[in-house]
Amino acid sequence: MRAPSSLKKEFMKKWISGLQACSSAKQHMNILERKKAIKLSADIAMASTRNGRTCWSRALIANASKDGENKALVEQLLANDEVEKLNNHKQQFSAGSVRPCCNNNKRVRCKKILKNIRCVRSRARKNVPRVVSAKSIAKRMVQKRTQVLKSLVPGGEFMDGISLVEETLDYIVSLRAQVDVMRILVKATETMNRKATTIN
Amino acid sequence: MNRAAAAATLLPSEMLHCADMTVLERQRARLKWEQEQQQQQQQLQESYFGDLGGVVFHQVTQQGEFEGGLGEVVTRSVKPDPGLVDNSSAWIAHDVMAGFVGACGYGNGTGSGFDMNYGIARTTSCPPTVVAAAAAAAKGKDSVGSDSKMSSAVGRESFKKRKADKVVAEDDTRDKRIKGCAEEGESKITEKNNNRSSSSSSNQNGNNKSTKSSKENSAETSKDNSKVTEVQKTDYIHVRARRGQATDSHSLAERVRREKISERMKYLQDLVPGCNKITGKAGMLDEIINYVQSLQRQVEFLSMKLAAVNPRLDFNIDNLFAKEAFSACATNFPTMGMSSDMTNPAYLQLNSVQQQLVSCCGLDMGINPPDMGIRRTISAPIPETFLDSSCFTQIQPPSTWDADLQNLYNVAFDQGRSTSFPPQAFAGSIEASNMKMEM
Repeated sequence: MRAPSSLKKEFMKKWISGLQACSSAKQHMNILERKKAIKLSADIAMASTRNGRTCWSRALIANASKDGENKALVEQLLANDEVEKLNNHKQQFSAGSVRPCCNNNKRVRCKKILKNIRCVRSRARKNVPRVVSAKSIAKRMVQKRTQVLKSLVPGGEFMDGISLVEETLDYIVSLRAQVDVMRILVKATETMNRKATTIN
Repeated sequence: MNRAAAAATLLPSEMLHCADMTVLERQRARLKWEQEQQQQQQQLQESYFGDLGGVVFHQVTQQGEFEGGLGEVVTRSVKPDPGLVDNSSAWIAHDVMAGFVGACGYGNGTGSGFDMNYGIARTTSCPPTVVAAAAAAAKGKDSVGSDSKMSSAVGRESFKKRKADKVVAEDDTRDKRIKGCAEEGESKITEKNNNRSSSSSSNQNGNNKSTKSSKENSAETSKDNSKVTEVQKTDYIHVRARRGQATDSHSLAERVRREKISERMKYLQDLVPGCNKITGKAGMLDEIINYVQSLQRQVEFLSMKLAAVNPRLDFNIDNLFAKEAFSACATNFPTMGMSSDMTNPAYLQLNSVQQQLVSCCGLDMGINPPDMGIRRTISAPIPETFLDSSCFTQIQPPSTWDADLQNLYNVAFDQGRSTSFPPQAFAGSIEASNMKMEM
């Protein structure tokens, strides 16, 4: 079992090294570029701390490398860790995520068909005034929120209910660690700058 | 053992996804650790019930209670985790002894072939008379043997559940084929069907017809079961259908799915602040969505801030800063780390040092040391190593707290309130930490 403290430590290390890689790749950036690079490197670092074991981290890396200009950077960041790990990522990614995708697509399609059938049936029954039950309203509300959550968690479109909740759990913990570390770094740099200005 | 028990509750398909400890498992491990004291007592006591309980009983008491509600999906089978095999085989050995004694005791009363394996394997298919007698006896033992209320309650409940025969949910291959067979009774419990290979069909029939015939069936078939096979039979889902609930395979599977989701939602509820008071799935999802969104926005904001603060993307300065600021602390630190043990005083000391470090970072002003120290000793299942003297350890001391995620949140909250420190305060706070260490 890995202690959660090591997660932050690992994230910190990876992030710092990723930032260095970013800064060495491009010398002069404006603030937006810098922000983008910082966020990207933080995301990649966070995802790579999970070692490709969770869906969201794999999806995050995949989404980041989808962008043309980011792709080189992502690969650089990942290669910065270890070369074998990257290979592992790729293997696991190709082995692990393609199959569930297929399954889920199938499932979604099935649901659509079912929904269509239901629609047809309800249309047929429409002449009869029907009371909308509270149960169905609640169901619809839950479905709507689940869709939103799926759009929030990276790679969530391809998850079913159970894995979505699980991945959300993991994602929240990672995000929290990320926020903590970032906050610490911001604070440290701020005090650094203040110190520098007072000395000067 | 934590790891193994946590892994035991996951299905094989999920096991593929999380080879490492996921958050869920960690949370489970934490919960489990909190109950460890009680459970140790219980396990001692359970060996008295060996004739009734066997492995199934262990699982009922452990995981049922562990999930917070005995009434849900109950017994999940043990995964063949390398860590667990030792333990569970030890348990089984234990139970064999107890079961043998029990068989000697109760086998005479019923006059039927109640042998050792039967005691282990077919615990739930006893005729009611035997159950009643055994329950009474066990209750007697219970009241004599220990004062632990919880275990006695659990025991009684599980005895009650054994009255009726069961839905046997069986999963031979990975496709989760669920055979359900329901009977009359207060409630139906699932059980580990040990003899699937030889006589699963006959056993099913037996379950359907009557408890007596099933008992005979199982009694003769379970003789040839060995302990090893019992450990290895792992691919079951155990479902219990209450009275009036549907027992066909689809609704059973659906129920399992729903209960799994709700269990994980409970963990999410623990994790997401302000989610405790909300009931209902939609409201909880709302909270979760808000929380995730706020975290993502925070990341955006912080990266923007970092970009604004740093003219260059070079953070080497920070490492220097960390080294400079904490060199004094770091010299004291390793010795403290060495002396740290699992014992509470050491933890407390360590913690106060840690705390001083944090407040000397200016990251945290709002936690009072004794409270934090107590919380720490309670909520940390694993001693963390502070021996790593890299700058990362010092630059982010609160990371060592997040064995407990609630604590993490508190820390985060306090960090949010905290003000940044004047750089001159270092010497004073280091002195303070030394004082604390000697405390």
